Amino acid sequence: MKTAPLRGHRPALEGPGFLARADLQVLIDLLREDGRRVIGPTVEDGAIVFDEITSLDDLPRGVGDEQAPGRYRLRRRGDEQLFGYVVGPTAWKKWTFPALVPLTRATKDGHKVEFTPEATDAQRLAFLGARACDLAALGVHDTVFTGSEFVDPDYLARRAQVFIVAVQCTTAASTCFCTSMSTGPEVESGYDVLLTELDGGFLVEVDSGAGRELRDRLPLRPATSAEQYGAAATVAAVRARIGDPVPAAGLQDRLLAQLDHPRWAQVAERCITCGNCTLACPTCFCTTLTQVTDLVGSDAVTSRSWDSCFSPGFAKVAGGSFRSRPRDRYRQWLTHKFGTWWDQFGQSGCVGCGRCITWCPVGIDVRDELNAIAPAVPLVPETPIVEPVAATPNDFVTARVVASRQETADTTTLTLTGIDPAFAKGNTGQFAMVALPGFPPLPISISRFLPDGIELTIRGAGPATKAMCALQVGEQLGLRGPLGNNWPLDRAVGRDLVIVTGGIGLAPLRPVLHAIVADRRRFGDVKLFYGARTPADLLYRDELERWGTRDGIEVSLTVDRAGPDWTGRVGIVTHLFDQAAWDGANMIAFVCGPERMMQATATTLAGRGVTASRIHVTLERHMECGIGLCGHCQMGKYFVCRDGPVFSIGQLGDIFGREGI
Amino acid sequence: MNETAALIAALNTSWFASGLSEKAQTRLAELGRRFTAEPGTELFREGESSDTFGILVHGRVALRTLVPERGDITILTVEPGDVYLWSALVPPFRASSTGTAIEPIEAIVFEGATLRAALREDCELAMALYPRVLVAVARRLYATRLQMLDLFATEQVKEW
Repeated sequence: MKTAPLRGHRPALEGPGFLARADLQVLIDLLREDGRRVIGPTVEDGAIVFDEITSLDDLPRGVGDEQAPGRYRLRRRGDEQLFGYVVGPTAWKKWTFPALVPLTRATKDGHKVEFTPEATDAQRLAFLGARACDLAALGVHDTVFTGSEFVDPDYLARRAQVFIVAVQCTTAASTCFCTSMSTGPEVESGYDVLLTELDGGFLVEVDSGAGRELRDRLPLRPATSAEQYGAAATVAAVRARIGDPVPAAGLQDRLLAQLDHPRWAQVAERCITCGNCTLACPTCFCTTLTQVTDLVGSDAVTSRSWDSCFSPGFAKVAGGSFRSRPRDRYRQWLTHKFGTWWDQFGQSGCVGCGRCITWCPVGIDVRDELNAIAPAVPLVPETPIVEPVAATPNDFVTARVVASRQETADTTTLTLTGIDPAFAKGNTGQFAMVALPGFPPLPISISRFLPDGIELTIRGAGPATKAMCALQVGEQLGLRGPLGNNWPLDRAVGRDLVIVTGGIGLAPLRPVLHAIVADRRRFGDVKLFYGARTPADLLYRDELERWGTRDGIEVSLTVDRAGPDWTGRVGIVTHLFDQAAWDGANMIAFVCGPERMMQATATTLAGRGVTASRIHVTLERHMECGIGLCGHCQMGKYFVCRDGPVFSIGQLGDIFGREGI
Repeated sequence: MNETAALIAALNTSWFASGLSEKAQTRLAELGRRFTAEPGTELFREGESSDTFGILVHGRVALRTLVPERGDITILTVEPGDVYLWSALVPPFRASSTGTAIEPIEAIVFEGATLRAALREDCELAMALYPRVLVAVARRLYATRLQMLDLFATEQVKEW
């Protein structure tokens, strides 16, 4: 006997169900019966906004959107889809974090004053049509308002009353970049009920007890595997369409390293500091407090309202504003959203919804700004650090010497191949632990990265290094690595770079020069100041010549002492620029040499306007394990092998050059 | 441009004299004269009387010391803008090294006795000039100390 399904009396459904499009009305009715106001998308003033929904007819049936920087248009889709568009100008924060919230009432009666918290008017709500980026934004606000010991009672009360019916995106706008921010397009959690719109209706999934309860009251049938596959394929197509417009790996560091980028001034010429981006943004949460009093001042209400870091008065103190220029305010917004938000909350403040792009009246595209200011395109020889195959101190791989070149009387460059492929992906400034049987392993800087090998430049100072220098073509040695961090070349993009080095210190900087030569136009003026003990001690003489004459690098050499046949400079390396005319305001410095020489260099560079955070040095310490465990190379809180060897002077603070640390 | 104006312009290209007052520069320009030399010219000799004060405008001067059995050792090169010869201001007015032009040089030189007389008479000029000389000498002293440390040497210097 066939019986018609009865609401509330269906057998429990396992797995996704299918809801006919017309039956979405049932869902809306059930939510309303539960005492909830249903907020969802509806067409108003030529845009799809979120507002109260009572019937299916309120939803934008067959409406799509076209979005671009500073542009938003609705269009007919030619189908019956109810969610065939992406996010519009409204963000859900309008309900969870309203633009104006009364906080405290203060009364004054004679000499007596009283402060009373204002009651929250939190309502039972249902959000219908929240997208993956929207859910991520709610998650960001959950962290901001409830993730620390200071829980915002108003937010907590409102948020607890929200039931979420999320919707998978089946289309993407040109402004979407959730893929880059790792927030979408797939809705994965944070919802009660999840809908994916198909031709005739919706795939329905649930992720909470309340969601299951609702599902069990819906006229569902089990979804077919074809429907499930179709839903997944549609969302996968959206991901493919969006691509990865803003590669996010290391974005916060890249961005914060570019506080002086000229682009800030350029974008400020377009930015009218209207603050639209912060109002449309689903995560921007800065507020200001205002008092409204009666005429005699005995009854005052303090309210919290949305503010914007673009407001002229946002950073104002008596005497002026700390961010008076538009460029300062734009930089504050972007660096907070993508950079310092991580320091504040351990996550990015951007969910990639693209609202700030569409609703910017002058069409500033935050993705373009990020890619210009903090580009992610790897410098030619630089690729992400990969974990070495031989990672532990007792684990060496062998490499074969294919060439040996004597650089000076005591220094030899070995070309090695047949090595751990991790080396091919090493970074400028990294080192290897190099071992020969019978000798202790030693840290040696990598002086060149080749497609299938590396070069090590070794000065024969002790028994082990002398044995390495004596290796002949065909002989082998043991390697671990690449280890340590790298020269922050990305900080030098678009700026002037000064490299100051002495003696064997040129070896770890040689890959930096190769990287610059390979991509010269990305850097401003590049100056190399190189000092050696005598003219015969200068390394890489052919390359020095080429860098200076052909590769656009200003090479200045000096030696500590010389015979009469040397017509170059004689004197300590800092003497090359201690009275130079150039200004170091836009300059990054990489320095490598004996510590005393690096100290003198840092002092001299500071005199040229290069601040401590822009002077990077590489430190030499007794390194054995290479992974920060054996303890030999500890320097204050740092382990040079693991946290270094490259540090900024600002990072080292007063431990740099201090005796006995 | 007359000679004085040309000399003032040349003085202004040097770190040594560019920060001096206009009055001091004018006075110096009146006292100084241009000097040029070809590469290889020995400008002054270690230990010999050297009654000249010189500011290098172009080229490079090597300061050398003769070390028996090691020959002439260049201990410093002087670059444009710097003072290359200041013995004329310090008794006993003898050069402490041998100066040789290793590039074509152009300099502004001052006859020692005349400059000293001018500085004795004109306290303002002396007050302007001497601190500069002191800076030049102090820089050289500091650089010499660093050089003396022989930081790039292979062998570890033994403790003593």
